[in-house]
Amino acid sequence: MVAGAWFCLLAPLAGSLAIALAGQRISGRQAGWISTLTTFAAFAGATVSFLDLWAAEPERREELSTAYTWLAAGDLRVGLEILVDPLSAAMMLIVSGVGGLIVWYSMGYMAGDDEERRYFAYMSLFVFAMLLLVEAGNVLLLLVGWGLVGLASYLLIGFWHHRPQAVAAAKKAFVMNAAGDATFALAVVLLVWETGALDYPSVFADVGGLSDTVVTLVALGLLGGALAKSAQVPLHTWLPDAMEGPTPVSALIHAATMVTAGVYLLVRAHPVYEAAADVQHLAAVLGAVTLLLAGLVALVQWDIKRVIAYSTMSQIGYMFLAAGIGAYGVAIFHLMTHAFFKALLFLAAGVVIHRLAGEQDIRRMGGLRAELPRTHLAFLVGTAALAGLPPLAGFWSKDAILASALELGGGLGAALLAAGLLGTLLTGAYAFRLYFAVFHGERRELAPEPHGPEAAHVPEHGEGPLSMLVPVGVLTVLAAVGGLLSVPGLWHPFTHWVGEVAEPLVEASARQEYGTSAAAVALALLGLALARAAFLRGRELVALPAAWTLLERKLYFDELYDALFYRPAAALSALLRREVEEPVIERSLDGIGSGTVQVGGEVARVQSGLVRSYALTIAAAVLVLVVVFVAVR
Amino acid sequence: MSGPGVGWYLLVSAALFGTGALGVMLRRSPLIVLLSLEIMLNAANLALIAFARQLGDADGQVFALAVMAVAASEVAIGLGLIVAMARRDLPLDVDRASALRG
Repeated sequence: MVAGAWFCLLAPLAGSLAIALAGQRISGRQAGWISTLTTFAAFAGATVSFLDLWAAEPERREELSTAYTWLAAGDLRVGLEILVDPLSAAMMLIVSGVGGLIVWYSMGYMAGDDEERRYFAYMSLFVFAMLLLVEAGNVLLLLVGWGLVGLASYLLIGFWHHRPQAVAAAKKAFVMNAAGDATFALAVVLLVWETGALDYPSVFADVGGLSDTVVTLVALGLLGGALAKSAQVPLHTWLPDAMEGPTPVSALIHAATMVTAGVYLLVRAHPVYEAAADVQHLAAVLGAVTLLLAGLVALVQWDIKRVIAYSTMSQIGYMFLAAGIGAYGVAIFHLMTHAFFKALLFLAAGVVIHRLAGEQDIRRMGGLRAELPRTHLAFLVGTAALAGLPPLAGFWSKDAILASALELGGGLGAALLAAGLLGTLLTGAYAFRLYFAVFHGERRELAPEPHGPEAAHVPEHGEGPLSMLVPVGVLTVLAAVGGLLSVPGLWHPFTHWVGEVAEPLVEASARQEYGTSAAAVALALLGLALARAAFLRGRELVALPAAWTLLERKLYFDELYDALFYRPAAALSALLRREVEEPVIERSLDGIGSGTVQVGGEVARVQSGLVRSYALTIAAAVLVLVVVFVAVR
Repeated sequence: MSGPGVGWYLLVSAALFGTGALGVMLRRSPLIVLLSLEIMLNAANLALIAFARQLGDADGQVFALAVMAVAASEVAIGLGLIVAMARRDLPLDVDRASALRG
């Protein structure tokens, strides 16, 4: 089972290196094939690994494989080692499978771009980084994958580096993630310090013996990393800006890689969080806050990709909520169904953007149902799955999360459940607002000049090449039926599968699940009805101008961080420049220079060139020496 | 050993050295300055040889030979310079030849 996992890990890396090293010798299209095929090869490896695991005895479904030991100091051994267990196998399948479809789609989407080869090398690197993250067998390697994912996202968000906004967005994503990486790294250092081990089994076995403070600090540090990667409040502001990258990149970041890393970490490190229950609940609360906040902001966005981006934040909020109350299997289940329908939404949105020559503003869209019938169907399935309408994927997974919150009970459970239900209403509203705006109503005039980041695209006549349509089709099917992997009361293969690694703390009964489902579906339908009513009357859902502005400015988080971090830092720098750099450092250096020149000028006068005065000086000096020697004796 | 004591030799040597030094410091013609330098060197030679004789070893005499060789080279260069200066119609005055550029 480890052979498949190693193959899965190394195939995308090989693809990335092959494209990078081949350089100009291959065409962009060939690079696309290399990237696509290696990613699907990774999926094949993951499948083999999964099947091996499936066939194994339940208690033997965990294998640590070390390629080589990099560092051995006393009892501490760190090396290139991967852990294959049900959780990592599930993640491997999601990452490489959905990732492969997205890379394939890119071949049609990016065709003709000047730097296609660079694009595909980065895509493969991204998939590799994420696979490394989920397969890592020790905390250090996890950190390596964590950092590589950040790097790859930086490279891809800023892929169109001639656009200043794209570069700024990439920088923002990188800085935000660096903040998370820092707390994560500190937590790792603390873990090594306290437990003297880095591999998961020994670390988690030792967690019980640590003091409360240490466990809380470690949990908080890991949570910081998870919040940044998964774009949860308060480290969420990079995600909407990351829409500056090409659309398939957004799909990859949102569906297969990157943002799911935080959820994976919460589940992977569940022993730490269970020892620090407060921090775990904090994660749930932050998830609930994010899901509401992102749902609200999504209501007022005009950019088709930004609406979907906020929906991702909102859905990841649900996953954090689930992981935070200990419903690990359910969290990963929602992660998987979300990967299906979110990749589907982005890729379908990519078809729309292609068709409209780069237009992303939904005010200029409309009436595309007749023009793009297949895309319309795909988008509708994705939207309904996002809103959680039965029997699509999102329905089963989201409602399982809500039911888990109900099962948790108490004030916290009730609050989380209320937030989740309200989120369902919001989801229904913003998802269908987008759907109606894009596909219904009148066909609008396009802007006279193509604009926006993807303006280079020529309008397609059909719905795009096969390489774009097939992945969309596959994802449509997955988004439609993916949720059937877990039907309350009937079977729970997926959640049980993950539950082998992370024993759930709460398990909802079938009755609770169907109860919350009814409520959630009713709320989602209410949201749909609201969106439809508003659309038919040509109005917006958020009618109050003040509320609109507040939401459009994303609740002023950017401004807040500007005032809280950027401005003080800039002011401090300016102050140091004015008060320290210029008067102390620069002037002292100038003084050394000009002082030397001055002394030199004075001394130069002695060298008159008059030979006789030299002779006189020498004679006088000798005389003095003689006198001194004689006198001293 | 007969003849005057080492003191007399040193006296003559000192007188020669003083004459030379005064010549270097007071005269302005490069030719005379060179000549005075030779006198100073020979004053030193005289002292060296006087001491060598007093101590009865050859070191001082060998050293005096070396000084003569150096003095000869120095005169060769010095006279060459003076000839060059005369050829370019430069004033033969050490005080006026105070810069390295012509």
